[in-house]
Amino acid sequence: MEDITGGASLPSTGTDAKKRRVTYFYEPTIGDYYYGQGHPMKPHRIRMAHNLIVHYALHRRMEINRPFPAGPTDIRKFHSDEYVEFLSSVSPQSVGDPAFGRQLKRFNVGEDCPVFDGLFGFCQASAGGSIGAAVKLNRGDADIALNWAGGLHHAKRSEASGFCYVNDIVLGILELLKVHRRVLYVDIDVHHGDGVEEAFYTTDRVMTVSFHKYGDFFPGTGHIKDTGAGQGKNYALNIPLNDGMDDENFRGLFRPLIQKVMEVYQPDAVVLQCGADSLSGDRLGCFNLSVKGHADCLRFLRSYNVPLMVLGGGGYTIRNVARCWCYETAVAVGVEPDNKLPYNEYFEYFGPDYTLHVEPSNVENLNSPKDMERIRNILLEQLSRLPNAPSVPFQTTPPTTEVPEEAEEDMDQRPKRRIWNGEDFESDHDEDEKPEPRFFNADAQPNNKTRDGVDTMEEDKKEHPGL
Amino acid sequence: MAGWSILTNGSALDCVDDVINIFKGDGGCCLDSNHHAKDAEAKDCTAVDNSDEDDYECEDKVICLFDELVSKFLNEAAEGGCIRPIPALLGDGQSLDLFRLFWVVRKRGGFDLVNGFWSFVAKELGLDLQFSPTVKLIYIKYLYELEKCMSRSCKEEKIRKGKRQCDGNLSCSSLELEMQLRSLLLHGCDRKQEDCKFASEVYEKNGRYVEMDSGKGKMGLSDTKAVHRVHNGVGNRNCDYDKNFHAEKNNYFNDSDDDVVTLDPSIVKKEFNSRKRKRESLTRMLNWVIQIAKCPDDPSIGVRSPHFKWKDHKGNELWLQAIRAREALLHRRHCDPNIEQSLFQVCNMNFHDNRKMHPSMFEDVSVPSEHFAERSRCSKRLPALVKHHVRSCCNSCSAPQSKSTSPLKTVCENGLKEQEFAVDLSSKNATFDGSGDGHVRRHVAVGPLFQAEVPEWTSVVSESDSKWLGTRLWPLESENHNAVFVMDPIGNGRPSVCGCQLPGSVGCVRFHIAEKRIKLKLELGHLFYHWQFDRMGEEVSLRWTTEEEKRFKDMVKFNLLSAGKCFWDNKHKYFPRKTREELVSYYFNAYLVRRRSYKNRVTPKNTDSDDDETEFGSLSDGYGHEALVVPGAYMLICSENKQCTDFK
Repeated sequence: MEDITGGASLPSTGTDAKKRRVTYFYEPTIGDYYYGQGHPMKPHRIRMAHNLIVHYALHRRMEINRPFPAGPTDIRKFHSDEYVEFLSSVSPQSVGDPAFGRQLKRFNVGEDCPVFDGLFGFCQASAGGSIGAAVKLNRGDADIALNWAGGLHHAKRSEASGFCYVNDIVLGILELLKVHRRVLYVDIDVHHGDGVEEAFYTTDRVMTVSFHKYGDFFPGTGHIKDTGAGQGKNYALNIPLNDGMDDENFRGLFRPLIQKVMEVYQPDAVVLQCGADSLSGDRLGCFNLSVKGHADCLRFLRSYNVPLMVLGGGGYTIRNVARCWCYETAVAVGVEPDNKLPYNEYFEYFGPDYTLHVEPSNVENLNSPKDMERIRNILLEQLSRLPNAPSVPFQTTPPTTEVPEEAEEDMDQRPKRRIWNGEDFESDHDEDEKPEPRFFNADAQPNNKTRDGVDTMEEDKKEHPGL
Repeated sequence: MAGWSILTNGSALDCVDDVINIFKGDGGCCLDSNHHAKDAEAKDCTAVDNSDEDDYECEDKVICLFDELVSKFLNEAAEGGCIRPIPALLGDGQSLDLFRLFWVVRKRGGFDLVNGFWSFVAKELGLDLQFSPTVKLIYIKYLYELEKCMSRSCKEEKIRKGKRQCDGNLSCSSLELEMQLRSLLLHGCDRKQEDCKFASEVYEKNGRYVEMDSGKGKMGLSDTKAVHRVHNGVGNRNCDYDKNFHAEKNNYFNDSDDDVVTLDPSIVKKEFNSRKRKRESLTRMLNWVIQIAKCPDDPSIGVRSPHFKWKDHKGNELWLQAIRAREALLHRRHCDPNIEQSLFQVCNMNFHDNRKMHPSMFEDVSVPSEHFAERSRCSKRLPALVKHHVRSCCNSCSAPQSKSTSPLKTVCENGLKEQEFAVDLSSKNATFDGSGDGHVRRHVAVGPLFQAEVPEWTSVVSESDSKWLGTRLWPLESENHNAVFVMDPIGNGRPSVCGCQLPGSVGCVRFHIAEKRIKLKLELGHLFYHWQFDRMGEEVSLRWTTEEEKRFKDMVKFNLLSAGKCFWDNKHKYFPRKTREELVSYYFNAYLVRRRSYKNRVTPKNTDSDDDETEFGSLSDGYGHEALVVPGAYMLICSENKQCTDFK
C-alpha cells in the first residue's frame, strides 16, 4: 500500500490493512426526511451513501443494524426537558400555533432549522444510531462503528442550530463514557463543532479537537484560544483554518496534532465526525479537500486501533457526500474500492464522470505555510501543557475497554470474503496487544520538533502499556 | 445611490483615491457621475413626483414588486380554493397586463371611483369596449384585494407616522406605489405567521428610526449574542443614516434609496442571524451580474432579478447583494493593499463598462460608511461570496478592521456633504468598532445550562441497554444465499466496456442499473425491500402516471423558490392524493435523476448536481426549463421507461 495508508500504528504492524470489526447503523427511512424546498441539508444523501456502499458490496464486510430510535428520555441525557418536549411535540401544522411561537424563537427553530414533517423521528434515528454505535463499542462487539446519519454537532443543550436539533454526538459520547475513561472527539467538518465542544468544555474526560474554517463563518466559535474551562482547560483544541485548505496542508496539521493528542491524552475511544462539507466544491463549505484527503483522517485514526465511532455531519453537495462516506466506509472495512462507480440507482447523480473520486478544484489555498506552522506550534505547545492521560492516569485499563489486536494481513492479499462472517474476526483475538509505543512513525513526522516530543513521550508510554 | 456617486465625486478621499483611479483609469468605465448627480438632484427636490419619466425609470422594479405581490395574493386565494391563472385572459384569449390595469385604475382613484366607468379603463388599456365587464371582473378577482390591503396599510402608516405623507389612498407616483408595494410585501399581507411577525418587527424597527426615534442604535445591544448585537448595529446604523438623510430632506424617500430603508434591515438581520446557509443565492447573484454584463440593456433583468429566494418579502436581493459585494470588495481593498490587483479585477469583471449597465444597477445605495466595517466582521454570506471569486481578498479579514473606518467615514462624509452627519456617524462608528476584535469571536458559554453532565470516572462499568444494538439486518441470519449466485467482488466498480448499442446512453445506463439491481436482489433477499431498495431510483416513477409526472414538472416549474414560491405549499393543488413522502421520494429518485441524466449528456461541463434550485430559479430562466422539456429527450425517457424497468 502506498504511503498515505501508513498511519501511526504500531511499528510492528507494518501495514495498516488489518481487519476491523465494523458495525454500521442505517435507518432505511432516513432518506425520506426532507428539510424543505431549497434547504441545503438533505437526508437523502445518507440513502445515496448507503446505496453506493451496498453496490460496492462493502456491506459484506460489516454488520449492519437498524438503529433503535432514541426516546425523549434518552435525549434528555443531554438536552433540556423543555427543549425535548418541544421537539417531540412540534409539527409543521402546529407551527402556526401562537403557543409555539415563543418557543420557536427560544429554541432557534424556524429558519436554518425548520420544522419539517417527521422532525423528531429524524432526530431519534440519528441519535439512536450514534448511541447504538457507542454501545457496540462499549460491549467490545466492534472496533469501528459507523453512523452516517449522526454527526449533528451544532445542536446545543436547549437550542437547535445549523441544521442540527439533537446532538447525537454528545449522546453517543456520554454513552461511551460509561465504559471509557477518556474519549477523544475529532471534528473535520468545515464548520466548528461548537455543540460538542460546549457540552464538554469543562471536563477532561472528553477532549474535543475541531478543524474548521474560522473567520466570517458559521458558527463563529472555534478561536484558537478557546481551549476549555475549569477542569476542561486545555482539553478543547481548535484549529482555525482559511479557505482553500487542501489535502496536503490538512494532512500536515491533522497528523502531527492528532498524533500528539493520542500520545498525550491516550483516549480509550475516539469519535470522528466526518462532515463532508470540508470537501472541495461543497455548497456551503470553502475547503478544497479531496475524498481521499478527507478519508485520510479516518485512515489515520483507524491506524491507532482504538475503538472508533465514525459519524456523518455536514455536506451539502450531496453527490460528493455520498462518494466520501462510501469511500470512508471502505476505508473502515479496509477495502480500496474501484474508482469507476458501480451501476446504482443514483448513478446519474455522479455524472458526467461517474467516478468515486473527483479532482479538487483549482482554488487558491489561503492557508500559508507560515500560518500552518504557527498554528501547529501554538497547539502543540498547548498540548504539551497537558498532564499525561488525565483522569486516573496510572492505572491499567479495565478489561472491558481492551481492544483485541488483530492479525496482520494485507488486504490485497487476503482471500476475498463473500460475506461478513462474525467468526472471521474471532480468530484475530488471540494476538496480544503489543506493549510497544505505537506513536512512532517517521513518515508521519512533519518536522523535528514534534519528533523530539515523541521521543520523550515514548518513554512515558512504556510505563503504562496496553492503552 | 450614494455609493457610486460618492466615490466618483470624492476627489478628496484618501484611500478611496485608488479606487477612483482604477475606475477612471479604465478609460471611462467608471460610473457616469453626471447621471447620478442629476438623479440625486431630481430626487432631492421631488417630494412626490408625478412625472412620467420618473415613473418610467422605476417601472421595472415596481412591476416586479407588483407581480410578486399579486402572485402572493393569488396563492393565498388558491389555498382558499379559488385558483386564478396567470396571465389573466380576456374573453378572446389575449392576456391582460395586470400591472397596467392596476395602474390605470389607481390613477383614476381606485376601484370605488372607477366603478361605473370601466369602459374608460378598457379604452385606456387599448381594449375594445366590449371587454369592460371582463376587465372589471378581472380587477375584482385579481386586484381588488390588493388595492384594499394597500390603502389599509397606507392609512395605518399614516397614523403611525404623522409626518409621512400618505395623501389620500392612492397616489399616481410609481415611486410611491413602489414604496407601498414594498411595505406591503414586508409588512402587511403575509399570512405566514412567522414571516409576518419577523417582517413587521423589522419594519417596525425601521419605522422607529425613520421617525427619528432617539434610540441611537443601541437597541440591539441587550441581545446576548455578539453576532446579533452587531447585526442590529448594522441595521441601526443604516437607519440612522437614513434618519439623517430623512431629516435633511424633510420628506420620506420616494426614490430608490427606499430599497435600503425598507429592505435592508430585514436582509441584514437575516444575513447575520447566525445562519449556516449562506451561499446559495450567491451564485445566482453572480450569474445575475454576469447576465447584466452581457446584456446591460435587457429590461427583463429588472423583472427577473428582484425575486428572492428564501422569503417572499425580501425583494431585490440579488441586486442588493451585488451592491454589497462590490462594497465589500472595495472595503477589503482599503484594508489590504496587497490584494488590490485581484480586487480590481473583480470589480472590473463585475462592473466593467458600467456605462452600459442596466439602470437598476445604479439605483442604490445608501449603504456607504461603516456599514461595511461591520459587515466584514459578521456577514456570513458576503465574504463567502468574495472568496468565491477572489480568493486572495480574504487574507485581510481580521487585521485591518480599525484602519478601515477612516476611509469609509470619509466616503460617508463626502457622500453626504453634511459635516454634522459625518460627525454623528463617526462617533457611532467608534462605538461599533470598539466592540469587536476583528471577527465576531463568540465565546463558549459555561454553566450547567450548557454543558453535559459528565460523571466522574469510576471503574464501575454500567451496562447499556441492549436495545441500542438495534435490529441486526446484515449478515443475514439463515439464508443460504451465496450458494448458487456468483457475486461481484467487494469494492468492484462497473466494467469498462459494455455490449450496448449506444454505450453511455440513457438506455444503456438504465439497462445496467436494472441488471445490477437484479443481482443485488438475489444477494440481499428480503433485505432488498427492508432497506427500501425497491424505493430507490427511477423505478419510483413507475407508480406515477405520465400525466402525473408531467404535472410534477409543472409544479416545480411554476413554483420556483427563487420566485418566492414553494411547490410543497401548492402540492395539494397539484396532487391532492399523493402524500408528501411520495412527492419527496419522486423528487429525489426520479425527477433529479432525470434532470441529471439529461444534463450529464447535454451540458456535461455543468456538473453542479446540487443546483436543484439555483439553476432552475434565476437567470437561466429558459435554460433549466428547456433542458427538461426538450421533446426529444423526454420521449426518449418515456420509451425507455418501459423497456428497462419492468424486470421486477
